Amino acid sequence: MRKRTLKRGLTAFWWLTLAFLYLPLAVVVLFSFNASNSAANFTDVSLRWYYRLLGNEEILSAFANSMVLAIVSSVVALVVGCLIGYGMYRHRHRKLGWLIVLIYLPIVLPDIVFGISEMAFFVQVHRLTGFLQPGLSTMIIAHVTFQIPFVALIVYSRFVGLDPTLFEAAKDLYATPIKRVVHFMLPTIKPALISAFFLSFTLSVDDFVISFFTAGPESATLPIYIWGAIKKGVSPEINAIATLMIGAVAVAAIVSLMFSRRRQA
Amino acid sequence: MSYSGVIPTARSRAMVREARHLLFTVAPGATWIVIFLVLPSAYLMAVAFMTNGPYGLPEMPLSLESFRRLAGFGFLGWSPGNLYTLLRSLWQTLVSTGLVVLVAYPIAYYISTCRAKWRPIMLLLVVVPSWTNQVIRTFGWMNLLAPGTPLSSLAESLGLIAPNMGLYPSNFAVTLGLVYNFLPFMVLPLYAAFEKLDTAQVEAAQDLYASPLRAFWHAVFPQTLPGLLAGIVLVAIPAFGMYVIPELLGGGKGMMLGNLVANQFSGGANWPLGAAGAILMLIATFVGLFAMRRIGKRLGGGEEVVI
Repeated sequence: MRKRTLKRGLTAFWWLTLAFLYLPLAVVVLFSFNASNSAANFTDVSLRWYYRLLGNEEILSAFANSMVLAIVSSVVALVVGCLIGYGMYRHRHRKLGWLIVLIYLPIVLPDIVFGISEMAFFVQVHRLTGFLQPGLSTMIIAHVTFQIPFVALIVYSRFVGLDPTLFEAAKDLYATPIKRVVHFMLPTIKPALISAFFLSFTLSVDDFVISFFTAGPESATLPIYIWGAIKKGVSPEINAIATLMIGAVAVAAIVSLMFSRRRQA
Repeated sequence: MSYSGVIPTARSRAMVREARHLLFTVAPGATWIVIFLVLPSAYLMAVAFMTNGPYGLPEMPLSLESFRRLAGFGFLGWSPGNLYTLLRSLWQTLVSTGLVVLVAYPIAYYISTCRAKWRPIMLLLVVVPSWTNQVIRTFGWMNLLAPGTPLSSLAESLGLIAPNMGLYPSNFAVTLGLVYNFLPFMVLPLYAAFEKLDTAQVEAAQDLYASPLRAFWHAVFPQTLPGLLAGIVLVAIPAFGMYVIPELLGGGKGMMLGNLVANQFSGGANWPLGAAGAILMLIATFVGLFAMRRIGKRLGGGEEVVI
């Protein structure tokens, strides 16, 4: 009897928490279809803010910046991180404590400290040498820096999960190092590479603080544009662009669910 | 006489090859992190000990001026502004972490009691909101808490806030935003702990006629402690350095350490002061990580408290 009351209470609490988690997103989606530009009253359904988006060149270029930044940084981080992950696995019997510290550093450093130290560094390097002017290139460097550890750890844990004798087998079959990489290693760690790429991509698109401090005047990404628009005074167009981004996340969630289902089946 | 020092043996050749292999695989990434993160952080720490120049850029000579400023000593004597900001950051971190634990604990337990086929979907439902951009999520709360919205009107009619003020900007809004932001970070490690809970211990406690509360405290809670500690690390450390949420939901009186630091690098233009604040944040981070490791080890769950 008592147990059932507890279960019922927990079920109610679960639904309340879900409401808490989704309410702010629901409000953004709802008001993106609002005909008037009031943030408090919903008057009529309309798509006018979405039409406005299409004509807004700043938003389109911010979108392009976000995509270039995410793709380029993820590709670089994938190559560099994958190498470290393999090196960590192959030499796991050595004392690599310093490397572990180095890899965890970008993860544990508070975003704001990460962002301002990169910014201070880039500004000074630019002042002294003329290289590394704040812009898309400095943002790519900063993003790769926080993506490398995640790629390395994913690839490393995939290698650790493999049967070590597989490596011996590949060697015993007189496969050359290049053949071993192409025909054995890359195919076996392919799932890890795919999930590492998507994680890097998501981290990059999702990042605001580090991008904000390393950006130049011409390299605003979508979150930076939205931030600026909020600071200037809320325009209902933000609801529309935010809704599109929420939609992209929803699609990603469904895809990831389908993948995990298939893996279980 | 042995020639092994001169003529490379198979063994030493293999060692050289292994060392070269380590270099080729690890060097690019390690160099990248050293140049683009270790060097910049080291520079930032050095800046904290320099003097503020006329354009906000750091200059020689070395001094502890920035730490004095951080403690509130300025040109016009002592003012408590910065100390309030520090205390507020600590307070917000404590309150929001506590609230996150209170919400996440029952939720993680509830998910672990549901049917196995529903659990991945339930976890996904908890995590998905945190995949959307932080700025957008916070913007959603601005819409919800602004003056004239149903929630604000409700708070007004209950006499919780002055008329037409709205629930944001306020310290309350910042706490709410922090709890919202970090909830999934606590649910996930706690769920992992609940999932492998040894129920035999609970049954043993019940067989010995322990009251439900005692059974929970002695048989369940210790088993979830490693997950709880991991969650606290994942919530409290980033909460202490939070920038976006207090900036958007807090207004001038809701500023936290992250905003104080960031302002010195934009409008306020006093790099040494900002760097001193950043050092404080780093110390808090490493003390937090170290303390959690120590506590985790003493509880025997040290292996699991890894982030």
